[in-house]
Amino acid sequence: MTFEPTIIAFLCNWCSYAGADLAGVSRFSYPTSIRAIRVMCSGRVDPALVLEAFINGADGVFVMGCHLGDCHYLIGNFYAQRKIKMLKKLIALTGLEPERLRLEWVSASEGARFAELVKDFTNQMKALGPSPVAGEKPDPNILENLLAAKAAVEDFRLRVLVGREGEMVDEGNVYGEKVSQEEFDEIMDEAIAAEYIRNKMYIMLKKVPQSVKELSKRLNIDPRNVLRHIVILRQRGMVAMAKVEGTTPLWAALEVGGR
Amino acid sequence: MAQQKEKPRVGVFVCHCGINIGGFVNVPQVVRYARTLPNVVHAEENIYTCSAEGIASIKEAIKEHDLNRVVVASCTPRTHEPLFRGACADAGLNPYLFELANIREHCSWVHMREPDKATEKAKDLVRMAVARVSLLEPQEEPEIDVMPTALVIGGGISGMTSALCLAGQGFKVYLVERKPELGGMLKKIYRLYPTGEEASRVIGDYVNAVMGHKNIVVLTSANIKDVKGYIGNFEVTVLKEGEEIKLKIGTIIVATGAIEFKPVGLYGYGRYDRVLTQVELEEILKGGKSAIDKRFFKLQRVVMIQCVGSREERPPRAYCSRICCMVAIKNAMIIKEWYPDSDVYVVYQDMQTYGKEYEEYHRRAREAGIRFVSYTKGSPPEVTALPNGRLKVVVYHALLGIRRELDCDLVVLSTPLIPYEDAKELSKMLKVPLGQDGFFFEAHVKLRPIDFATDGIYVCGTAHSPKDVGESVSQALGVASRAAIPMAVKRLRAEAITSVVDESLCSGCGTCIRICPYGAIQKDERGIAKVIEVMCKGCGTCGASCPERAISMRHFKDEQIIAQIHAILRRVAA
Amino acid sequence: MGEKASVLVIGGGIAGIQASLDLAGRGFQVYLLEESPTIGGRMAQLDKTFPTMDCSICILAPKMMECYRHPNIKLLTYCELKEVKGIVGDFNVKVLQKPRYVDEVKCTGCGVCAEHCPIEVPNEFDMALGIRKAIYMPMPQAVPRCMTIDKENCIKCGLCAKVCRAGAVDLQQQPKEMDLNVGAIIIATGFDQYDPREIVEYGYKRYENVLTALEFERWICASGPVGGHLIRPADGIIPKRIAFIQCVGSRGLKFGSPFCSSVCCMYATKEALIIKMHAPDVQVYIFYNELRAFGKGFQEFVNRARNEYEVKYIRGRPGEIKEDPKKSLTIWYDDTFTREIKSLTDVDLVVLCPALIPREGNKRLAEIIGVELDEYGFFKVKHPLFAPVDTTIPGVFVCGYCQSPKDIPDSVAQASAAAARAAEMLAQVRR
Repeated sequence: MTFEPTIIAFLCNWCSYAGADLAGVSRFSYPTSIRAIRVMCSGRVDPALVLEAFINGADGVFVMGCHLGDCHYLIGNFYAQRKIKMLKKLIALTGLEPERLRLEWVSASEGARFAELVKDFTNQMKALGPSPVAGEKPDPNILENLLAAKAAVEDFRLRVLVGREGEMVDEGNVYGEKVSQEEFDEIMDEAIAAEYIRNKMYIMLKKVPQSVKELSKRLNIDPRNVLRHIVILRQRGMVAMAKVEGTTPLWAALEVGGR
Repeated sequence: MAQQKEKPRVGVFVCHCGINIGGFVNVPQVVRYARTLPNVVHAEENIYTCSAEGIASIKEAIKEHDLNRVVVASCTPRTHEPLFRGACADAGLNPYLFELANIREHCSWVHMREPDKATEKAKDLVRMAVARVSLLEPQEEPEIDVMPTALVIGGGISGMTSALCLAGQGFKVYLVERKPELGGMLKKIYRLYPTGEEASRVIGDYVNAVMGHKNIVVLTSANIKDVKGYIGNFEVTVLKEGEEIKLKIGTIIVATGAIEFKPVGLYGYGRYDRVLTQVELEEILKGGKSAIDKRFFKLQRVVMIQCVGSREERPPRAYCSRICCMVAIKNAMIIKEWYPDSDVYVVYQDMQTYGKEYEEYHRRAREAGIRFVSYTKGSPPEVTALPNGRLKVVVYHALLGIRRELDCDLVVLSTPLIPYEDAKELSKMLKVPLGQDGFFFEAHVKLRPIDFATDGIYVCGTAHSPKDVGESVSQALGVASRAAIPMAVKRLRAEAITSVVDESLCSGCGTCIRICPYGAIQKDERGIAKVIEVMCKGCGTCGASCPERAISMRHFKDEQIIAQIHAILRRVAA
Repeated sequence: MGEKASVLVIGGGIAGIQASLDLAGRGFQVYLLEESPTIGGRMAQLDKTFPTMDCSICILAPKMMECYRHPNIKLLTYCELKEVKGIVGDFNVKVLQKPRYVDEVKCTGCGVCAEHCPIEVPNEFDMALGIRKAIYMPMPQAVPRCMTIDKENCIKCGLCAKVCRAGAVDLQQQPKEMDLNVGAIIIATGFDQYDPREIVEYGYKRYENVLTALEFERWICASGPVGGHLIRPADGIIPKRIAFIQCVGSRGLKFGSPFCSSVCCMYATKEALIIKMHAPDVQVYIFYNELRAFGKGFQEFVNRARNEYEVKYIRGRPGEIKEDPKKSLTIWYDDTFTREIKSLTDVDLVVLCPALIPREGNKRLAEIIGVELDEYGFFKVKHPLFAPVDTTIPGVFVCGYCQSPKDIPDSVAQASAAAARAAEMLAQVRR
């Protein structure tokens, strides 16, 4: 049997959901791969929701919103765009193909475009094959990476950076200085990488206490960097020294409160 | 109210929609499947769930099976949610404990050739809806007061008509016109078809009526600078001669009109003085016969060319401009009346003399000696200059099959009405859309032709699409009814789907305040974010961006969406 | 304000529905009078609407239900206007409620009675192409959802009363007169279809495979007489070639009416697309004189039909249709571009697009109310440009097709216009 991808589509109520409705009214056929979740605005699509979908084995996630400038809520789709940009970078670190996440703009009058996009994305996913975390035996490593990524986007730092990007780049920061897009992207990339690794380390330490050296080997990063992340995780109250084996301290994850 | 969460008891109603769904999706199978889903205590099929019978059976089932959640699997929530929510409310169930599974637009109609897969998808969609509805919570719609004051943007015939009718109903009206005088497009027009009265006289009467009405405040040379707020409570900033005027407005009417397309480069327009557009001709006609004589000496032959720059292959000007055929007939007859010996030709593709009167109007023109020459899109006429300054039009008469060469004194091009360039800016300020053609785009082409999707904002006249005076007046009166409804009722129910801040999680970082385009989030005295509910439109961007994840969206909570994701991906096993 | 001002709306089609909802929405008491057993009008009979291809009943049904549910709207279905006296602000109206022989309150519309009724009658709602019983509901989405016994065909066997568990059948029901006092009246009686039998050359009612457009709407509609299957009426064969003929009895001086019905080019295009969506291989021809696609998005719609769906538009007026022994049709026509007499053979189905004309009943209505009709039978307005909904009598307004030919959105906008004028006038007389 040929592979039929499962694609989760987040459609904004005003444009893309209406576009999907119009595809129906106009009887434009497209593959049955897609399952739509209606949200009021593409800006509502929390990055954690996208990762939740991948973690649970979605072959693709399609986010659709109004064309830029047409957002029913004026600017929600710009925020969607920034979130997806960040997410794609983050997903690339997990070993999952970032092409599995796609953002497109579809207006209420673009029924044909909606159908075409679904066809196109479905074909793209068919070519890519099933998600490595879909099905009975998900790739444990990528799954763990995705969990780390999800934890990263649930945390303050990436969220605040994404939330403030427009303000920093377009309007200027609190000192009235504008940060250039390149400069901001650099900060963002660094933060994405760091937050991802920290959360990954946290998950690893949750399973079994480990030393800096072990972590460095398994994550393939410099021990000095590992230690730096450990320091920050300790400050956040996420890890603590569990015991010392010989001269090597082993670090363990702490239960973190809240949600 | 600290009510204990009761166990969900979900009823599922699967609609055949005649054969729209039932013809492609195996509805009985979906119903049987629905019965196996967690929390589902009742499932049935209906031929039309939206019929009185269907509605009655929902209400009955709510009572009989003690349902506290309802799922209808039928069509799009964008049209039918209110109806089904109403049914729930009638049966005493909070209307927000309802979910639609769209198995028609998103399933049967797009997977007609794959009925088995369509059926499987329909089951998935029902499973998603059941998972979601089980987690939904009751919501209340806050009530808002409506300011009984209307703002009419545009002082042409449409805007003035709306203003007069609303004022006549007792509402206060602000009429904002960017030009120094009221009157709009009709100020350029000589006579009106088919009745023949002089536009200037009519406009004069209207302007007097508007200026003299105690309920109407006219602001000319004024532009809309900013629009804030929502239905019933708009705050509009008008810029009049450097001065900012702040208005509190209940409803807004867009009557900004359209302009004539200038066909630069087509048929010698812009190159030859004797090539004019219809509006340019009218402006000369307003000066009487002497103005024509002065400009062209005498008119022996005039050729009018229809569909210049309209009915093109592609948008934005793929449309027919609706009025040009009658405009050409009108002006052709005026010229014929003034110069009885002249030949007046109308070179056309299809005469759009629709309706009750225009066919007769066309007939009268033929009887008056106006000559109609048909051309096809593939072989348009050609206009060249003659050495003596006159023009030559070469046209292949498609119905007679002959080539005609017409020396003439004047070529008049019938060009379409096109939207104003800056309609875009207004559309952004008002948060209402424009269509492919650049005209304002209504809420629904068939049944909400003069409403916008955004409550409290309406459109009429040529801002909506090309139309003649009578049609513009009809629409203008129409919006005077649509806008009057909330203003007469005075109190409206507002959006229930708003965001909520969990105070215990908010760190006061202010990201949400920056993000909200409606200014609906403010900091309270403790520095904690607070949502002003009637201003919140419920987009949810604040929640999806909140660094502390302290904001949740009513009716679109994370766990509700996650339930849908899980329902899709974890199949039934979970 | 003391008691609620009230308005009588005559005609339960989309125009009447919209006018009623607008007025009721702002607090007026509305009486919506409809001659037939259900509101919905012509729009309810249509399969889809142009240019969005919305399913007609799908978008209309919620509005019908809204009328039914609205606390300020009293539906007077199966009623006739008998008398109007008085002036604006104070019209005294007599309405006759025709007996349904079914109690509107008790009837649940379950339809068991119709199942048992032995008398079969052509269903007017399906343009007489389908069958109903002597006790019937015109369509599944009927509002109110109540059965009606058509007395003319009923043989009074009483079976319906026996099987009705709700005890709703009341064969003794009598006509009931009602007196209403209203401040304003809105007329929205819609249109009729010109009967093309007069044009014998087209063979309507002689050739079984010649239908009118409204008949075709029912024929192709999923809830219609043949469940929306695209088949020939004569023999149930699947057609390969279908032709539409425009301007049947319109724009002509010889037959029918001189005016243009405004909507035929577009609904023919729509019906052509419906055919193409049912069966992409069917060849569809539209014979037209002038292609009138003047509304918002219409030309784009025609372009799509022509380019994407390969609907063939032929400029020409058919002179005659001939039927062959296999019930297929040959259309002889005058191709106005090539100036030749040509024929299109093996046509399985011909759809005539007849003039849509003002209703015959307008004359009686005009007499009762005292308003004027124009030479065609449309309700006359005070000024076609500046008072497009005011009739010749103050306080009486008109909207929709019965004022002049127009499509659904124009009817809806004009219905709101009539509502606005009624409200404006009542605001003034009550002051």
